Amino acid sequence: MKTLGRTILPYLIAIAASFAAAGIFIAAMGFDVGRAYQTILLTSFRTPNGFIQTLLKFIPLTLQALAFTVPLTAGKFNIGGEGQMIVGGIAAAAVGITFSDLPPVILLPLVILAGVIAGAFWGLVPAWLLYRFGLNEILTTVLLNFVSFALIDLVATGPWRDTTAGHPTTIPIGQGGWLPMLVSNPPLHSGIILAVLVAAGIYVYTSRTTGGYELVATGANPRAAEVFGINVKRMFVFSLVLAGALAGLAGSIEVAGVHRRLIEGMQSNFLVLGLIIGLIARGNNLAVPFVAFFIAVLEVGASAMQRTLMIPVEMVFIVEALVLLFVLLSDVVRRR
Amino acid sequence: METLVTFLRLVLLSMVPFVLASQGTMLGGRTGIFNVAQEGIMLLGASLGFLVSYQVGNNFVGMLAAMAAGALFGLLLAYFTTTLKMNQFVIGLSLFFIGVGLSTLLPKLVIGITLSPPLIPTLPEVSIPVLSQIPLLGPILFRQNGLVYFSIFLSLVLWYFLYRTQRGLELRAVGENPMAADSLGINTVRARYWTAIAGGALIGLAGAYLPMVYTGTFTEAMTRGRGWLAIALTFFGGWSPLTILTGSLFFAGVEVLAFRAQVIGLAVPYQYLLMVPYLATILIMILTFRKARVPAFLGQNYDREKRNL
Amino acid sequence: MEKQPILELKNIRKTFDKLVALDDVSFSLLPGEIHGLLGGNGAGKTTLMNILYGLYRKDQGEIFLNSEKIEINGPRDALKRGIGMVHQHFLQIANYTVLENIVLGTGITNRYTMQMQPEARKVEELCQRFGLPVELNAVISTLPIGTRQKVEILKALYRGVKILILDEPTTNLTPQEVDALFESLRVMVNDGLSIVFITHKLREVLSVCDRITVLREGRNITTLDRKDASEEVFVRAMVGEQMNIEKSVYFARDTKTFGEVDYTAEPLLRLTQVNLISKEGVARLKDVSLEIFHGEILGIAGVAGNGQQELAEVTAGIIPPTSGKIEQNGRDVTGVPVGERLRSGLSYIPEDRLHDGFLPKASVAHNLILGVHRQPPYSDGRFINWKTVYQNSREQIREYNIKTGGPEDPGGNLSGGNIQRVMIARAFSMNADLLVAHNPTRGLDIPSMDFVYQKLLQRKAKKQATLLISEDLDELMLLSDRIAVIYRGEILGILPREQFDKYAIGRLMSGIRSTEPATP
Repeated sequence: MKTLGRTILPYLIAIAASFAAAGIFIAAMGFDVGRAYQTILLTSFRTPNGFIQTLLKFIPLTLQALAFTVPLTAGKFNIGGEGQMIVGGIAAAAVGITFSDLPPVILLPLVILAGVIAGAFWGLVPAWLLYRFGLNEILTTVLLNFVSFALIDLVATGPWRDTTAGHPTTIPIGQGGWLPMLVSNPPLHSGIILAVLVAAGIYVYTSRTTGGYELVATGANPRAAEVFGINVKRMFVFSLVLAGALAGLAGSIEVAGVHRRLIEGMQSNFLVLGLIIGLIARGNNLAVPFVAFFIAVLEVGASAMQRTLMIPVEMVFIVEALVLLFVLLSDVVRRR
Repeated sequence: METLVTFLRLVLLSMVPFVLASQGTMLGGRTGIFNVAQEGIMLLGASLGFLVSYQVGNNFVGMLAAMAAGALFGLLLAYFTTTLKMNQFVIGLSLFFIGVGLSTLLPKLVIGITLSPPLIPTLPEVSIPVLSQIPLLGPILFRQNGLVYFSIFLSLVLWYFLYRTQRGLELRAVGENPMAADSLGINTVRARYWTAIAGGALIGLAGAYLPMVYTGTFTEAMTRGRGWLAIALTFFGGWSPLTILTGSLFFAGVEVLAFRAQVIGLAVPYQYLLMVPYLATILIMILTFRKARVPAFLGQNYDREKRNL
Repeated sequence: MEKQPILELKNIRKTFDKLVALDDVSFSLLPGEIHGLLGGNGAGKTTLMNILYGLYRKDQGEIFLNSEKIEINGPRDALKRGIGMVHQHFLQIANYTVLENIVLGTGITNRYTMQMQPEARKVEELCQRFGLPVELNAVISTLPIGTRQKVEILKALYRGVKILILDEPTTNLTPQEVDALFESLRVMVNDGLSIVFITHKLREVLSVCDRITVLREGRNITTLDRKDASEEVFVRAMVGEQMNIEKSVYFARDTKTFGEVDYTAEPLLRLTQVNLISKEGVARLKDVSLEIFHGEILGIAGVAGNGQQELAEVTAGIIPPTSGKIEQNGRDVTGVPVGERLRSGLSYIPEDRLHDGFLPKASVAHNLILGVHRQPPYSDGRFINWKTVYQNSREQIREYNIKTGGPEDPGGNLSGGNIQRVMIARAFSMNADLLVAHNPTRGLDIPSMDFVYQKLLQRKAKKQATLLISEDLDELMLLSDRIAVIYRGEILGILPREQFDKYAIGRLMSGIRSTEPATP
């Protein structure tokens, strides 16, 4: 228990420090700091709706963060979670719309799976480019993000377009593809169970299996790992494909659980937040869900804050970036 | 012919953000600092440059503000990596977040949330006397805004500095083998700091170029990935100023072509054309991956007191 | 007449975090002398000189140059004061030319055009004077080690240093090149230089140094004139009371007791006509045929860079040979990847421990099971049994004397010598039939080296085979049953123990083929 306390302490200090720093800025801008922070931190817990909203954000945030931390363990940086999520959403919507008449027992798994496979493919491309040509994955994953923006625009304004909507959106997917609700009002879909199971599975994989060991070894020193028999290149590919699958899953869940259709912009800011979560958790897959929940709370609070107090949501983003910075700094302090 | 001249003029116009951002990346990279925050710094440069120019009424001051912000980010990058020895990619990503966040926060604070953002005047053309009268080449090369000339001049100066001066030799050594450079009395810390700062300033300037030349205003995510493309460009330009300049021309060419194709209204849906610059970049990376000559210690930090293992 | 020391280091103390590297160490250098700084790895010799050269900051103590107290804050200061250092691992810019490497960091006459004729002339002159010929426009990475070392020395001479520190300069030289180096040192001394010669090799220091200072565990032990003391005195000074010198292997004189090898039985490992052509089309191994027998230690001698790395990696299955056959215990294992080899009777100690064998960002436990993480007792193939891993790790930490906080300690906390102990623990703990060991004692102090030698000899008793690749000829001659000499990827000769002769091996190491047929 003592070590748990000792590991959490730097995080708490980091949070306090960043809140303090941002608080000064908020006050300087002439806003009410106290009410601002109240709104940010407590909105999630004041109403059932607030809490559900937080959980709904928690799902894609956790998956995006894992999509970053899994390759990070192997030493690779996947910045393509956005694109992987988008193509996951596209595939899920495509299947959901094309086969909209199928019963749930068939359609739902298909929809989810379509997103996972599409995301995995979107991770396979940079993985293969890395494997075959040694191309830096930071660049290739980012470039594919931009390609996916064009793709989703294509799909959302194409034959499936919902002409009554003002913003590029598709018609809804078949009811069979909807994730069953756990709670109907406020709406909490069963994707949360899926997300938690997946997160647990990833943790067990990396910490207890030989595959997970090889991932860790690859990230610690790819050359040494290779010399001692680990197929490092295959590890890189595998980690990126798995990451793509995770982000793709986030895409299908958003489509099947939240929107029930494909909306341009569904990827929101989940990628950047996912990266921040992954970095704050320092690549530790067990910490990721907890940090993700915290960030979800902040995000829900941020929109409320902008609505009620007119403080721009970016303020919270700055807070989150500062938490990251302070956590990283605490690492340095601890070393000395 | 008319269209060719217009096309080439546009290419030279469009290459500037690439040249500036890539040279800035290259400069830091030559001492071993691998900056990945370009997208954030460019957005911040665009945002801040626009806001300052709007408030002060002078584009040049706006540019200076953007450069100052970029320089600050470069300083932070140098400090966290060189002095505190933190991981360069993680710090770069963190700075990227902060840059992006600030770039959307600042306009909201200064201008507020509005449907019709204010405009600033775009950069004027500067005609070089006599030379701009040359048929064909004249309008392309010698009737451009000041930053176009600056970019070309900068590239030449950087090339000469790196390869034909003593300080350049010493600077490149820092990125190739900082232990060796240090053991010969070369101040590796100072080299890293100044290249990161100068590099950051250039990247900030690259960002400011966007509102000041293209749209006259700042819009969210207006860099459209150019910061990331600049990294790719630096790689396939072999971390060398002249090849980066030619590479930028090429990138700009692809970008302009794609845009042109949209305007002309080809039978292809425009979204495919949007993808072209990014897919082209991947293709170029594939074709040139063998040749990339990267500074040996790129991305790594050097600690003099690290026990010799 | 008593000469005043040109240099004095007094009461130097240096710690790295909690490790005390130097504890109240003093050192003096007389003008015109070659002063040997002797001690095992980890004794503090390099640390002390790095402080003098400005790469490390001292915690306490004073430095006096010509009786004047000075402060040295960086190599720039040291160089300005005429102190130069040639490091064990050359500090050169791989893609620069020899001339560029030599003048780097100095003021160049034409600094804005980089026309370096004046500098080139100056360097040529130095080459002549000190007998260190080099090709000025060659790119450093293309040159052999012996030449690169000459460039390192020229770097210091070019700057007109009065005090030259050489850190383990003979590591990669043939016996003949070592003699030539000592000649050059004498020329330098006659020219007015004073030299500090860092080494762990007692015999070298006895042959070229005027005075010798012995350090052990960061402390002064003794400083003696060479003519005033015998070899035994220095041996005792280097190892202190830690080791039973008579019973040790390191200092053993009578080597017949190590055990006989049965050469009539089937060899454990056989390489037949193995060739390796690199990606660039260069032949790195040429028709290598070797046999290693049960209970044998086959030594591979050679100057670094002549194919040892390739031989190690091909034998271990890390790189498949371009042609040829590899058989272990009669089974054809050509092209079998290293992962599988590690599971069937092979252990490997790589030469570059940091890059090729260690995971600094993972824990010590992770490091100890690298390569064997898929097999019992650590794993059933799918899941890792961390309990067993930690148990075994704790045992190995104890047995191999690895200084660490525990199995969960991050690898990055370990010092160089302890990283090497991890390598050794890992390699020996699996009791493999065949051990490929490349410079296994690098970075170890003498008692630890002795420990490794004991373990290697135990393998002989168990009828296991060892391929011992080493750049330390003394080590090879001490332990090997036979020595094969590799030169430019070819085995030029194999000598049995009765025919071990330093200069004969040295000739083969330089590529001079033996006129006698190679004996098996």
